[in-house]
Amino acid sequence: MKLAVLMCLAGALCFGLMACVSKLAERKKCNTSALVVWIFAWATLFMAGQSFRLAGKFQLTGPVVGLAVGLGICAAVGYFAFQSSIALGKVTVAWLMMNLSAGVPALVSIYLYGEKMSLLKSIAFTLALVALLCLFQGNRLETRVNASGEAA
Amino acid sequence: MWLLLMLVILLTNGMSSFGLKVLPAWGLPSSLKYPYLTLWYAAGLVCIALPLLLRGWKSGWKEVGWGALLAGLSMGGQLAMANALQSGLPGNVVFPVTIGGSILIVAVAGRLFFAEKLHPLSWTGVFLGGLSVVLLSVS
Repeated sequence: MKLAVLMCLAGALCFGLMACVSKLAERKKCNTSALVVWIFAWATLFMAGQSFRLAGKFQLTGPVVGLAVGLGICAAVGYFAFQSSIALGKVTVAWLMMNLSAGVPALVSIYLYGEKMSLLKSIAFTLALVALLCLFQGNRLETRVNASGEAA
Repeated sequence: MWLLLMLVILLTNGMSSFGLKVLPAWGLPSSLKYPYLTLWYAAGLVCIALPLLLRGWKSGWKEVGWGALLAGLSMGGQLAMANALQSGLPGNVVFPVTIGGSILIVAVAGRLFFAEKLHPLSWTGVFLGGLSVVLLSVS
């Protein structure tokens, strides 16, 4: 159990560092598109290796191929948008947005699979909505303060 | 522009992992996960690389190295989370700790290392958003 908790913390550290390294790469003036291309290239290489090692074959049906292609494009566009946004705004807010986006498939599966909207989920969605309003309004106020500071 | 990027992140990033929920719902074996993820990453790669290649793009070594580091961290995080779940820790502990923990790490690093100053309203948003993500992963 101790190892499981350590693994859990290692996961948090890896994901947290991922956002920080993205910000560092932006500060080092890495080309955003090229960076995303290389992230996906390395990950494709690793996953292909794992597929051949564990499954030994590569058989996918038409609907699964369609799903993988469509959602893979979503992932690339999402990470490209994240990497572009940290050049314009705060990494803290962009990373939170990456994680808040988990609410979208939760909403979709409520609609598609008729999953129950529990009290906990309702509270989570309400909090997410209030958080988004606070973040967008906060960003507007920061921009206004910065603009007035530059004008003065 | 920033607002538009935030909306794109919100709509695309979350949906991207939806497939891993759909595969079991279609009654497909878990061994299909790796070929599925290979194609998933390859599709993303082509989507961003194609426009670049058409413009005659040549990559620098800088992006190769940073890209490898980021890919390693992403897969390291996924593997650590999978191992924690396999070791018997319930999902309602693993997901809030890893996701909530990463948000906290980024918030602290943003303040300490990147000198990011947030408006109090934005900090409230970060706190409520973090809480919402934790609740979503528990429910």
